[in-house]
Amino acid sequence: MPFIVSFLLAIISFTVIDNVILNRYFGICSFVGVSNKVKSAVGMGLAVTFVTIMAALVCWPIYNFILVPADMKYMETIVFILVIASLVQMVGFFIKKKSPSLYKSLGIYLPLITTNCAVLGVCSGNVGYDFGYAMANAIGTSLGFLLIIFVYACIRVRLEGANVPKAFKGVPIALIVAGLMAFIFASLNGMIDLGAWGVQ
Amino acid sequence: MDILYAVLLLGGLAVVFAVLLVLFSVIFHVEEDPRIDGVAKLLPNVNCGACGKAGCHDLAEALVSGEVKKVSACRAGKKDKNFDPIIAYLKNTPGPDGKTIDVGM
Repeated sequence: MPFIVSFLLAIISFTVIDNVILNRYFGICSFVGVSNKVKSAVGMGLAVTFVTIMAALVCWPIYNFILVPADMKYMETIVFILVIASLVQMVGFFIKKKSPSLYKSLGIYLPLITTNCAVLGVCSGNVGYDFGYAMANAIGTSLGFLLIIFVYACIRVRLEGANVPKAFKGVPIALIVAGLMAFIFASLNGMIDLGAWGVQ
Repeated sequence: MDILYAVLLLGGLAVVFAVLLVLFSVIFHVEEDPRIDGVAKLLPNVNCGACGKAGCHDLAEALVSGEVKKVSACRAGKKDKNFDPIIAYLKNTPGPDGKTIDVGM
């Protein structure tokens, strides 16, 4: 199996089959919190995508070339949080300079990426992987986040005009929709058997 | 001994990232209206958010840009300590375009 094929298969697997929100339940807070407008949902998804990939790029070498030789694997979580927080700050500086309008529209959600567990989940999950697989995890997971938050925001915008029973109006029906989406995505389970492709 | 190494390692990484952050903030420095900082200094700086903005610096920005026209939008401010100095400051300090701003009470 050539590397590029298994790489793409791993990305697809992490994007739709082992989805970060619906299957691993990471990043639920921003998933529900930012998804009432399509525009802010896409902005959040893109920012998370960028930060996740950058964080994985930095965290993997730090873990494998600093923490493992120093025999301090237990420092993993706090070091990763440090990296993620600094990266979010740097991305903030960069966006503020290069695109003030995007900075305005992201607003408070930009610093909130620091506390998005999807980013930390990717970095912690990459601990046992080799570099290629870790990158596939980062790219696939963040694309999965972007895809699901976009679809969910579209459904929620339609729900605002729908005739929902009074008791379910607003967040309750949105949570039920999230559950139904998780059902649908669960049916994809086991479609790609990464072990058989020799990825891990 | 272990805890010393752990502190040193985390401290070292923190210093590296701190240097990077300082570099980034210098490279990507955005020129702001100097009056924003001036107004922010005169606000109570409790960052309560009662004005509806995300902190005192944000309200200062809104006051200078003309988005908020009344200093009393700030709930935590006192008339003699905060509002009067801000009104006087904005009246007497011309911006980069040479104009001053009139804000109400």
